[in-house]
Amino acid sequence: MKWGKTLSFFAGRKIADQERLCSVDSSTGGSRVFRFRPEFRLHHTSGLRTDKFKMKVVMLGWEYPPQISGGLGTACEGLTRSLARHEVDIRFVVPYLYGSENAPHMTLVDPTPTGLAFNHFESIEKTSESKRIRTERIEAFLSPYWTPEVFERKLTALHELRGTKELRRRFARSVPKEIQVCRRNGNKYGQNIFEEVGLYTSNVLATIGSDRSFDLIHAHDWMTYPAGVALAELTGKPLVVHVHSLEYDRSGANVNHEIDHIERMGTSRATKVIAVSHYTKSLLQQHHGLNPEKIAVVHNGVYPREATRSYQRSTDWPEKSVLFLGRVTFQKGPDYFVEAAARVIEHVPGVVFIMAGSGDMLDRMVQRTKELEIQDNFWFPGFVRGAELERMLSLADLYVMPSVSEPFGISALEAISFDTPAIISRQSGVSEVLDHALKVDFWDVDRLADLIINGLLHQELREDMISMAREEVKRLRWDAAADKTFSVYSGLAH
Amino acid sequence: MGLLKVTFDMPSVNFYFQVHQPFRLGTCSYLNRNKRGVHNYFDADKNGQIMRKVAEKCYLPTNQLILKLIKRYNGAFRAAYSITGVAIEQMERYAPQALDSFKALADTGCVEFIGETYYHSLCSLYDEAEFRDQVQLHRELMQEVFGQSPRVFRNTELIYQDHIGLMAQQLGFKAIIAEGCDDVLGWRNPNFVYTVPNSEMRLLLKNYRLSDDIAFRFSNRAWSDWPLTADKFAKWVHDISGNGEILNLFMDYETFGEHQWESTGIFQFLEHLPEAVLRHPDWQFSTPSQVIEAYAPKADIHFHRLTSWADVNRDISAWRGNRMQHSALEKIYAVSAQMRKSGDEYALDIWRKLQTSDHFYYMCTKWFADGDVHAYFSPYESPYDAFINYMNAFKDFSEYFPEKRIARIERSVQVLSTPTAPSKRDGRLPPESVREEVRLPTAPH
Repeated sequence: MKWGKTLSFFAGRKIADQERLCSVDSSTGGSRVFRFRPEFRLHHTSGLRTDKFKMKVVMLGWEYPPQISGGLGTACEGLTRSLARHEVDIRFVVPYLYGSENAPHMTLVDPTPTGLAFNHFESIEKTSESKRIRTERIEAFLSPYWTPEVFERKLTALHELRGTKELRRRFARSVPKEIQVCRRNGNKYGQNIFEEVGLYTSNVLATIGSDRSFDLIHAHDWMTYPAGVALAELTGKPLVVHVHSLEYDRSGANVNHEIDHIERMGTSRATKVIAVSHYTKSLLQQHHGLNPEKIAVVHNGVYPREATRSYQRSTDWPEKSVLFLGRVTFQKGPDYFVEAAARVIEHVPGVVFIMAGSGDMLDRMVQRTKELEIQDNFWFPGFVRGAELERMLSLADLYVMPSVSEPFGISALEAISFDTPAIISRQSGVSEVLDHALKVDFWDVDRLADLIINGLLHQELREDMISMAREEVKRLRWDAAADKTFSVYSGLAH
Repeated sequence: MGLLKVTFDMPSVNFYFQVHQPFRLGTCSYLNRNKRGVHNYFDADKNGQIMRKVAEKCYLPTNQLILKLIKRYNGAFRAAYSITGVAIEQMERYAPQALDSFKALADTGCVEFIGETYYHSLCSLYDEAEFRDQVQLHRELMQEVFGQSPRVFRNTELIYQDHIGLMAQQLGFKAIIAEGCDDVLGWRNPNFVYTVPNSEMRLLLKNYRLSDDIAFRFSNRAWSDWPLTADKFAKWVHDISGNGEILNLFMDYETFGEHQWESTGIFQFLEHLPEAVLRHPDWQFSTPSQVIEAYAPKADIHFHRLTSWADVNRDISAWRGNRMQHSALEKIYAVSAQMRKSGDEYALDIWRKLQTSDHFYYMCTKWFADGDVHAYFSPYESPYDAFINYMNAFKDFSEYFPEKRIARIERSVQVLSTPTAPSKRDGRLPPESVREEVRLPTAPH
């Protein structure tokens, strides 16, 4: 009902009313980017176009393009765009909106109490990207720092608050506490992450806690699980938890136990869990002991790339090159890449290995290439993006993704869309959906070297792979992922 | 029992079964090439395992059934086989009882053996001299094992165009078997004897509809004619009366028990088929040589393209369709002159086993239209793995033979002084077990 109200803005009705309700960011060409003031929104109940939507979903996300730090935001964009075609009305809540987001297919929500005020800083933000933004924040009602027992107690308290007016007072009128937050350096996984998560949880509850007009909650990755679980507890709505990655993937044996705990809590309390691959599903079973019947596998999709600029090899580009692209961390297996490279270089002199990305293992990798005396065959350009990234993806002869544990691995599909054949680790979700790639167990360095050598030596192999893979990637559409997600929804809504 | 005379005014069913198993490659690594003393590229364990399994599920039970039928109908039921040299070698090594059961069929006099290339290779497309040699090797093998000299020829995978028919004629064959492709036949049907243009060479064309009803569709429950019974099939056969003289049913022998499992009822079908066909007094069974003597050719047929019995398009794209396949084939035949001159029988045998068509079939990428068939028969995870493994093996082979081989053997002989003699058939190898013990290739001539 209330959502129909927000739509009325576009039908040209009650504009004055709407202006009080939200502000539209003109820089995105009038797209539906809203800053909500929850206490206002809750009052508007005139129904408009409510029957257009089969289902209303509150989606809890952590990032949205273009402000992304990894694949999560991209995946959320792809999924929601296709879900919207199923006439699913999505309210997508991120911790914070930057104003450059463009999501005409759904409603983006910034749940911070200062959302409206925040809009005024837009121009300042754009002129100085790295400027620290001064913002106000409320005390976190739920903190992931708490022990499971405390968390349970808080949830019980929430349960008791269901539908009371006390609730709104509790959240919406919290006393703001002024602190400094750094949010603009792409470093979302900083030391403040737990505070961020707690704040997000409170903000979500404050914004949506009194609302009952939606059918279900869909939470993406652990940062949103506390909010998802709390909101489900408060509203009694079903909770879908979407596992894009696990702490186990990111850190292997050195898991952060708090995150691990949140993941276990979130997936176990969810009504239904969506895993991005069978690989992730089996990890959820093994690592968290989750009942497999509760898990649905929905593979990610990829958007067909528009005809991109064609990149010509100039004289500064090596004759043969192999690309590693991603965070230089344990999860991505950069060490296996370096060891395989050493074996390849013996047989294919002159090949250049590019390790593009940054991360806590980068220094060690640079050091290792020196030990192996192959530093002349290595290039470490650091974190690349934009045109430089596209140039690398299109000019490299091979793309290698030797991940130790990769829930999906959408970058392999991106490499293919730039006509670069991929060698991918079998310990990845993408290997379940991609036939036209070379696959290797990440630890099998000799085999990896063998595949790289053959890939470099045989142009006919690369050409056959890419011509088939291009067709294959076209079939890995987000629409298929949305179809499956929608059937998960349908199973819960009634 | 002897051959019954086929009556020319009665139509006949002409069964020919293909028996072939390739020497599959073991894992060949680029990094580890040249590191083993013996360049043993083929996976003895896997090949033995597969041969024993196929023998158990198909060759032994089907041969037993065919033998029973020949005896039951006192020679009125008969069939033809084409068995590749590499299949016979593997039967000798891994399933000698299967070979014995084929010999027992040969002894009835009601079974004809057809000629082909010993190595089930694609050499007809690349090297005529090599083709002649491989056909000759197979002919000698048929003579030695079954006491027959083939008179009818089938090329690997029924790959055919006019010039291949003429090459076979030059080698003394009277007829060649090909696919009855619609686009080649036009308004004609495959149920007559034809000739290769401008020659006396007879052309026997596969009736692919009725053949594939048995070979591919037999167990397909989505097929409107499922379940296929012998009576139903015999009715279709009898319908040909008046519109054809022969019915050529050509298929892989593994259809019986391997592609169509025993549980589908394929053996009961085969067992009852002769009775059902012979119920019509006009119909009889015959073999290709009988057919070409009994029936006059109706016309010559020009094949304007290379055809085969594979896939929807009946072309050769399953073996030579993509760039990898072209490249691998070109590489293996690029050393042809060098290999054939070398006189090195050991190396020649390996080189020829690397020519077997299956290696190239595994590299096929056209998975989307005919997909499942290719996936089902490949020992590799992907066509790319097949290509890489093949190129690694070939790299090793081409580095080792023939240049380095002599020096290598001289060194080895000093260490191991007991090389084995070549087997009695020149150009073929002692069993792999022997080679593995000795760890030394036979000396060059």
